[in-house]
Amino acid sequence: MSLLKSFNSYDSRIVYLLLFLIVTIPLLSPMGLPISVSPSTVTYYEVIDALGPDDLVLVVLDTEFSGYMEIQSGIIASMRVMVERDAKMCVAVSHPEATGIPELVFAAIKNTVDEHGYTYGEDYVILGYVFPNEAAVASAAQDWQGVIHNDFYGQSTEGTFLDQIHDWSDWTLISDYTTGIQSGSLINHFGLRGTPMIVNCIGVMISTQMPYLSTGIYQALLQSMRGGAELEYLTGHPGPGMTAMDAFTLGHYMLIVLIIIGNIGYFGTKENSRRNVE
Amino acid sequence: MTDPVELSIMVVGCFLSMCMFSTLYGKSSPLYSLAEESYIGFATGLTIVMNLMYIYNTGVVGIQGGDWILIFGFILGIATLLRINPKYSYFSRLPIAITLGAQLGLSLRTQIYTGFIDQIKASIVPLFEGSAKTLIYNWTTFICVIFMLSFFLYTIEIKGPIKLSAKIGEYLMYASFGAIFAQTFMGRLGLFVGSIQNFTVPPWKKPILIACMAIVLVALIALDKLNLLEKLTPEE
Amino acid sequence: MKSRELSLIAMFLSFLVVFVPYFIDVPALDTFSTKLITITAITVSFTLLLAIHSQFKRGFDFVRRKPRGWIFKVYMMITIVLMLLFALGGLETGPYHWAMYAIITPLSSVNYGILAFYLASTCARAFKARNTKSILLILTGFIMLLYQAPFTGAFFDLGPIGIYLANTFGLAAGRMFLISVTVGAMVFGIRILLGQEPGVLGIRSEE
Repeated sequence: MSLLKSFNSYDSRIVYLLLFLIVTIPLLSPMGLPISVSPSTVTYYEVIDALGPDDLVLVVLDTEFSGYMEIQSGIIASMRVMVERDAKMCVAVSHPEATGIPELVFAAIKNTVDEHGYTYGEDYVILGYVFPNEAAVASAAQDWQGVIHNDFYGQSTEGTFLDQIHDWSDWTLISDYTTGIQSGSLINHFGLRGTPMIVNCIGVMISTQMPYLSTGIYQALLQSMRGGAELEYLTGHPGPGMTAMDAFTLGHYMLIVLIIIGNIGYFGTKENSRRNVE
Repeated sequence: MTDPVELSIMVVGCFLSMCMFSTLYGKSSPLYSLAEESYIGFATGLTIVMNLMYIYNTGVVGIQGGDWILIFGFILGIATLLRINPKYSYFSRLPIAITLGAQLGLSLRTQIYTGFIDQIKASIVPLFEGSAKTLIYNWTTFICVIFMLSFFLYTIEIKGPIKLSAKIGEYLMYASFGAIFAQTFMGRLGLFVGSIQNFTVPPWKKPILIACMAIVLVALIALDKLNLLEKLTPEE
Repeated sequence: MKSRELSLIAMFLSFLVVFVPYFIDVPALDTFSTKLITITAITVSFTLLLAIHSQFKRGFDFVRRKPRGWIFKVYMMITIVLMLLFALGGLETGPYHWAMYAIITPLSSVNYGILAFYLASTCARAFKARNTKSILLILTGFIMLLYQAPFTGAFFDLGPIGIYLANTFGLAAGRMFLISVTVGAMVFGIRILLGQEPGVLGIRSEE
């Protein structure tokens, strides 16, 4: 009986400690559990795989740094594919913390960048924090040359491939990596006007982003860290996503076990079995 | 040999992160306050720097390029800042009104499509054509949307067929909440896994992570045993 | 400047300048609309600078009272100034770069990572199969959790049912919330335009 009571009313810190250990131990010592690839990731990969040297991609890091920790695998894997296809990338961010992300991503794909001779200014430009609010997104969509003058390093964007951009219609693709900061604005001012969009969002946002996928505004949706890990697997470049899947799997199983234990405790204690409420 | 700057970044970052995790101990601690105030301070500074850069790159450079009308952005912006002075705060009303009107125009002109019309159109799916799988998906989505929406009718009395529809919608919503909760947990778990992963790759970071975890845990327990946790924690 | 009517007229006019050209093609108005949007973007960026005032005001008020731990607030205000000074030394290297990667990025990631613990603990406690609705919730939740764990696929393929639940029930709920929120936001926006929400403009109701 005391065991059932303890199942029903245990200290929350036990859950915290369990979760901490279950996540940290596989990260310190990976087990290499297998993963499968979902259809949504395949669709996402097909979109970026179809890019070519004449394509202009606006990569929007629409996330705080915390969100980057979840979707970094998708960002790195996607941008690696874009480099491999020689697509032109313009990297913009919508949160001050995200200004630190491009450096990390390009460091992670440095080998690919060097192999393909991907050059700053010719093949990619980092604009930095240019989408602080919806009005900034809207003005960039309507009059790019009127609002974007310098890159993150203070150099003029004149003379780069961005000279070809005047409004939303000049982009081949908007690739949004989002925790929801300006994703709505990008949809309203780029996607709704017909600019193709793909998105890699955090898990919390999946259900709210799916309606846009079904209306055709998004061409594809990469789902959270798992989608990023699947993309790494699909592209043959294991990275932070695949490494994290052991911890990811065990975390999910732990929650299932805890819910079952909680219910055993709930039904096992006499008071609760008499007070079942409809 | 690891670069000393990179090593210092790792040590400080890991230690402060473990200090932030100390809130899970269940009691307020000065270690958490140290991490919290560090983040608030540096992040506020970062936000200001980045916004000043945006104002410069868009406004100042634009004006230098001949776009004189952007001067109004500066005039309205400085007027907004006068909000901090109670005597002159009324100057901020006009810029707030103008920006609010413009932003309402931006959102109302597009959200009617993306959030309403397009969603209604996408809900109208073929119910009698297509493969078995397509029909199952379409019927399920159609039924779910209709019944769930009927649950949110507030301006008429819920009785008769609408009451049944709302009841079914309620049950369907609970089923969908299960799916949503799982996705939410996946997202939150991903955030946590990613944050710890930051301290495990490359492998030289692992001993530092373990050491920081141990130091913070020992410090917490020691402070708790000595009854110093509350004494050293800032008042709310 | 203090006039409530002036604020409402200015708001309505700027709304029209942005709203109308989207539907009716008037080139001169279109250009002016685009410039107004850019001016709005700059003005809104200025409002974020108010953060420095609010943080310092909060900090000074706290320090003035000298409660327990006031030194932390002094530390916080010093760090704001430090970050501004660091930025003067350049963004790519140096102390700004160090502060970005040593303090802001790890603490930002942990800040939200902690939510996983609270969510796990709350779910474990709250999800009890008390009635039909909660049983439905737990059942679909379990199926999705198992589907999301990549290792499950090695034993049994929950892909079809997991995708079905996400692309039907999940989609329907997301769509329903989106429609509800959009209608609510539009109604609220129209109320603001009609002057029925003066508080949003900073106008007290007695004016």
